Parts: sequence; C-alpha cells; structure tokens
Amino acid sequence: MTTTHPRTSELQRAQTRMGYLFVLPSTLLYLTFVLAPVLVTVVLAFSHFDPLLGSRWVGFENFTRFFTDRRSLQIFWNTLRFALFAVTFNVSVGLVLAVALNRAMPGWLLYFFRLSFFLPVIIATAFVAVVWSYFYGDDLGVINYFLRLVGLPNVRWLTDSKNAMTSIIIMDVWKNTGFFMVIFIAALQGVPANILEAAEMDGTPPWRRFLRITLPWISPVVFFCIVYASIGALQVFESIVILTQGGPGDATRSLSILIVEEGFGSYEIGYAAAISVVMTVIILIITAIQQLASRRLVQQ
Amino acid sequence: MSMMQTNTAKRWVDWAIIAVMALLAIGMLLPFLWLIATSFRSVSEAYKLPPSFFPNNLDFVNYAKVLASRVPFLQIYYNSLLVALVVTIGQLVTCTLAAFAFARLNFRGRDWLFIAFLVGLMFPAQVTILPIYLGYAKLGLLNQPIGLALMYLTSSFGVFLMRQFMLSQPKALEEAALMDGAGYFKIFWRISLPQLRPALSALGIITFTQTWNYYFQAKVLLGKNEAMTLPIAMDVLRGYMAAGNLSVVMAAMSMAVLPVILLFLIAQKFVIEGITMSGIKN
Repeated sequence: MTTTHPRTSELQRAQTRMGYLFVLPSTLLYLTFVLAPVLVTVVLAFSHFDPLLGSRWVGFENFTRFFTDRRSLQIFWNTLRFALFAVTFNVSVGLVLAVALNRAMPGWLLYFFRLSFFLPVIIATAFVAVVWSYFYGDDLGVINYFLRLVGLPNVRWLTDSKNAMTSIIIMDVWKNTGFFMVIFIAALQGVPANILEAAEMDGTPPWRRFLRITLPWISPVVFFCIVYASIGALQVFESIVILTQGGPGDATRSLSILIVEEGFGSYEIGYAAAISVVMTVIILIITAIQQLASRRLVQQ
Repeated sequence: MSMMQTNTAKRWVDWAIIAVMALLAIGMLLPFLWLIATSFRSVSEAYKLPPSFFPNNLDFVNYAKVLASRVPFLQIYYNSLLVALVVTIGQLVTCTLAAFAFARLNFRGRDWLFIAFLVGLMFPAQVTILPIYLGYAKLGLLNQPIGLALMYLTSSFGVFLMRQFMLSQPKALEEAALMDGAGYFKIFWRISLPQLRPALSALGIITFTQTWNYYFQAKVLLGKNEAMTLPIAMDVLRGYMAAGNLSVVMAAMSMAVLPVILLFLIAQKFVIEGITMSGIKN
C-alpha cells in the first residue's frame, strides 16, 4: 500500500502503530507459553532442580546421564526406530493412496474416499488406541479372530516384545496416513497436465512418467511431509501409553513417556528437561536438513 | 483402433484401482463401525466373537451406564467443550489480528517477528511443559481446565495459515478503502474478515479438533477426575471398567467422538482446504 501522496509518512506511522497493536496479543502469549518456557527448560536441563535446598548448576551432567544410561539409550533408540518406520510408511502409503485416487471418478465416490481415509486423522489417538487395544487382544481380540478364521495362529500383538512396536506402528499408519494422502492429492493436481500428456504421447511408461516428472515436481511437498511426520513421530506418547504402557519391559517406551516419568513421577525435573532438549534438537536438525535439501532442489 | 483399445484398457485399470481403494476404505472404517456396534451390545455379549460391525439394536442402556459411573462424565465433557471453545475463539481472534499485520502492514521488525513465530512450529509440547507445570503449580492453575486453554490462545500454525490465506486475497478493495480515509482496523473488520470466512472456518475446525484431542498436555496438567478432558478420561474409564464393561467404554467413546465427526461431516471442504493450504504453499 505505497503511494506518493503527501500523507505517506503519516500513513506509515499509522501502519506501524496498528502493526504493533495487532501482533501484541499473539506475541505476548507466544512469549509466555512458548519462548520463555523453552528458555527455562534449557536452563533446567543444565541444573539439578530442588525447590527446597536450592537448585544448582550441574553443567552437562543430565545429558551425560542420558547418553550413558543403558535404559535411556534403549528408549532413545525405540523412539528413533518408531519415528523412522512411522514416517516412512505414513508418507509412502499416503503417496500411493493419493496416486491411486488421482483419477477421474464421480464426486460422491471421492467424498467417500476422503471421508474414510481422513476420519482416523481427526479422531484423537487416545480414543482410537483404546479401540485398537481390543483389536490387538490375544484370545478375545478382533484381529486374531479373523486370523483363526482363515486358519492362521494367534499373534501376540502387544504382549510379545518382538511384535509390540510393529503393532504400534501399524496403528499409527492407519491413523495418520490419510493426512499425507490429502496433501499429496492436492500436490498431484498441481503437476502440469500438458507435460504428462506430452510424455505419454512419446510412449513413456507410467512409472517412468511418475519418477521423472511427477515426483520431482512434488518433491518440496514430500520434504514437508517427511519433516511434519518426523516432528509428530518423535513425540509419540498416547498410542504407546494406552496400548502397552511402554512394555513389555521397556520394549516400546518412548522419550515422551520417559520425560513424564522422570519429570512428574520421580520429580527429576533437570533430567526430564535435558531429555526434552535432546528431542527438540533432533527436530531442529531434521528441519534444517529439509530446508537445505529443498533449497538445493529448487535451484536445480 | 489401437488408441481406442488402450483407452478401454486404461478405463478398466482405473476401475480396478477404484475397487481396491473401496475395499481399503471400508477397512479403514472398521474400527469405527466396531466401536459403534459394540456400544449397543449388551455387556455380557461385548466380548463375544464374532465381533459385530453393525448394531443389532438401538438400546441406549450402556450410554446411561456411562452417566451413572464413578467417572464424572458430564463434568469431563463440559471441561472438554470449555477448553476447545475457549481455545478456538481465542485463536480466531489473536491469529487473525497478527496475520493481518504480517500480511498487510509495514512495520519495523515485522519479518523477524514472523520468523520467530515460525520457529514455534518446531517446539514440541514436551519442551515447554515443565516450566508451565511449575508455574501453574505456583499460580494454582493445575487441575484447572482453563489452564490448558490458556496455553493455546495463540498458535504459530494459526498465524501462518491465516497469513497465507490473506496473501492470496486481492488487495484492491482494501487500498480503495484506504484512499477513502478508512482506518486500518475498519479495513480489517469490514473488508478483510468477510473475505476470509472459509479460512476462519478452516482454522476454527482444525483448532477445535486439535484441542479436543490433546492428551500429553492434559495428562500432565489435569490429573483429577473432575478436571480431566475426554481423551484422558477414556483410559481411566477403561481402568474402572476392566471387569468387562467394554460396551460401556465404547458408549462413552461414541459420545466423545461425536462433536468432531459432526464438525467434519458438515465442513469437510474447509478442513481439507486449510490443510492443503498449509502443506503446499510453504
């Protein structure tokens, strides 16, 4: 809104005034509930918190404890493994579903598809996990009933430490892949049709058209989805709490569960803060890699 | 001739894929069908196999049992509604105001401030919850549903989404109003907001749903039965009902998911639009 009118400077002052006024509520809330708590958490991570005897600075002690303790390292590894598989399957299944739905069909059919694949996305994990806990039951479980029906043996979905993490990942993909499907459908519709048609005329087979034209075109969106999925997956909490309580043993315990147990169970606030800082740093690294990678892709 | 043949073949492939997708889509819905069907099964038959995916009666006795249980379900339902509505209204106001400033007004530090908001997208609740818990303990806000709501009165996502929508709107009307001497607040209220109705619906529904579903934060801040929100209550209810009142838990669950499903059925279009807007255009 620039003009060469004599009122320009007056207008600019009004804009500045209104600008600050309009961002004020959000900024104050953001400082109070996000930025300040993050800074305090970082300070806490370097201290031993004790409100009675006084807190003291302990340097990297909390971090050393986290990276040398066998149990916390296993929980760290659980979380990374969960994130790796959950992200890979959520994004790739979502992409496959989007490609499958990206074709001419009656409007009501598309509505039905979007509804059924997106419904799990909008229902709380805490709700659907309770339903799945009955699906995953050993003898009375719904899934095992159907397995027996076709002559297969029961699977101990949640009570066998070899299966429990896989079961949680399966539910996670059922729950979240529809989100990525919806984003990919929109991205696929942005791929220029004339380029695809020209390639088809030249006799390029469909899978090569997908790899050479479609995938490069939507790659920024793929990167966004990977980062978005990673941020969510690293925080995995309620699906595990409800399905296995972190068990059997520590087989499915995640960083978020450890933070709650240490921070609010054992009142080891400093240690819990250090774990949450580790989690946040991983998220920052993944986001930075995405930014660099998509910038390089755009340049090409 | 060969062109026609490939076209027919292509159409068959299309329909085969759609058929497979339809089967998958029904599979996606099975947990929900089971949840509703089980909420109508008598308690003694809840675990009976084969499982049912369609209710064979419409007896609301299990729903009545939820309300009569030791978990104060109506209070918890009210807590969930209160938190979700306060947060939704709060974000619609704060995020829209900030987005207008970021998209339309020129002021010093604007771009830095916006980047600061974007950074917020990367901070998980885990890294803010400890200080908030300690602060709330001092202020007496633990076990107060409104405490959970306070945390989310603004959001980086909301500011970002509304700014994207505003940038995609033409500025001509606003510029004309400015020439006529209208103030910025009047322009925001009379011209920008009415154009943004779909965006407001999208942000409103996404925020309501997200808040309705919070678990980690709610579990830390709201421990008492009377202060809980629904996602926490389901697990508690399952614990109390462990002796096999599966049907009662599922009746509670059906009531808990109802508002979100209704919202989504009414406004699927806005939700999808909002999500693709945030995913594609950054």
